[in-house]
Amino acid sequence: MGFSRYVEVGRIVLISYGPNAGSLATVIDIVDQNKCLIDGPEEITGVSRQVIPYRRIALTDLTVKIQRNARAKQLKSAWKEGDVQAKWEGSSWAKKLEAKKKRSGLSDFDRFKVMVAKQQKSRIIAKKMKELKA
Amino acid sequence: MVGVRVLGITGPKKAAKAAPATGKSARYYPADDIPRPKHSRAKKHNAPKVRASITPGTVCILLSGRFRGKRVVCLKSLESGLLLVSGPYKVNGVPLRRVNQRYVIATSTKLDVSKVDVSKINDAYFARVESANKEGEEEFFANDAPKPAIVSDQRKADQKTVDAALMKVVESTPLLKNYLGSNFSLKKHDRPHKMVF
Amino acid sequence: MTKQNTQPVRLYLPGAILGYKRGLRNQYNHTSLIKIKGCDSKEDAQFYLGKRIAYITKASSGKNGSKFRVNWGKVCRSHGSNGVVKCKFSRDLPPQSIGGRVRVMLYPSHI
Repeated sequence: MGFSRYVEVGRIVLISYGPNAGSLATVIDIVDQNKCLIDGPEEITGVSRQVIPYRRIALTDLTVKIQRNARAKQLKSAWKEGDVQAKWEGSSWAKKLEAKKKRSGLSDFDRFKVMVAKQQKSRIIAKKMKELKA
Repeated sequence: MVGVRVLGITGPKKAAKAAPATGKSARYYPADDIPRPKHSRAKKHNAPKVRASITPGTVCILLSGRFRGKRVVCLKSLESGLLLVSGPYKVNGVPLRRVNQRYVIATSTKLDVSKVDVSKINDAYFARVESANKEGEEEFFANDAPKPAIVSDQRKADQKTVDAALMKVVESTPLLKNYLGSNFSLKKHDRPHKMVF
Repeated sequence: MTKQNTQPVRLYLPGAILGYKRGLRNQYNHTSLIKIKGCDSKEDAQFYLGKRIAYITKASSGKNGSKFRVNWGKVCRSHGSNGVVKCKFSRDLPPQSIGGRVRVMLYPSHI
């Protein structure tokens, strides 16, 4: 199995560090071996055009079809055409991030409710397993 | 110095005690110096402010003492700044009790305790009662089993009435009774500084 | 009530004793450096300021009905930017405690 995610123009990336951490951006141009130029587009993800090191981004499976150094307008229309936002939100990666965020915001009582729900779930599973084994 | 004193800088109490401020000195002057109590600057300590996260009805986690880890309901703050909490007793065994707010985590879960009447419970209510049959020297050395603490009937009755009202509120929310009955404990990957309570 | 062998409720975090506050050539035994588990930044350390710390040792002879002795201390301030804290104890920690464990309590609480 070779690599399928490349650092390339049009690659959608997730920013993992810095003030924009957690938001998506698009690779617009490659500066050198260590950094690239990204743009949100700002209107959709809130990430302004900037140079960022690869250490601070994570590549996703998604790409959009844009030219090198594309203008913000073209990028925006490419995003809409490619339906990037919806595709990202449908991915298990995004769902996991969402769940993590939700879990960290839970209050003490909410955590207790989750614990009870988990117990009920495992009880059902254990019961079913016992039936299947018998 | 005397003139200054008449001006009342030393405080109202002392000024009133001094010769009436008619300008004339008093006729009577004691032959001996009468030692006057020193003016104390000790300030009366006011009760600490209860932090904003704790209000009547807040579910709190007790952090220390024999009920540590228990989730209890705060009923009100007393004059001394201590919090009045109740388990309720029936749910987790915590009676009507005073706790220091520093030994408590306030959660965001709040109950409506407006129906729970705790107006007659104050700091004096919790004052220790001198036991009638005090341990004498002989009994002290007799090394018999310690007598169990006796809870007065008054306390028991108050606990009942308060809890009866409180239980109504508790039972109106699903799972809340189980929640109050369970203990709080840090798990392996819990980071209290990142947790929301 | 069921009898439990382990402590049923843990309301403290483990901390590791790193050593004493020090300069290049001098060390100051009155302050110990402690790494609290899971506390990895200066911002995280803010939560623990003022918290009580217990250094617990087991003695061969009992005192007050317990063989465990406790040296209480508190978190004074953060140290560096990686969540290490400076702590003072009612008696300075002994040198053999370095590398040992302390319990960082959750009180006095401000939440």
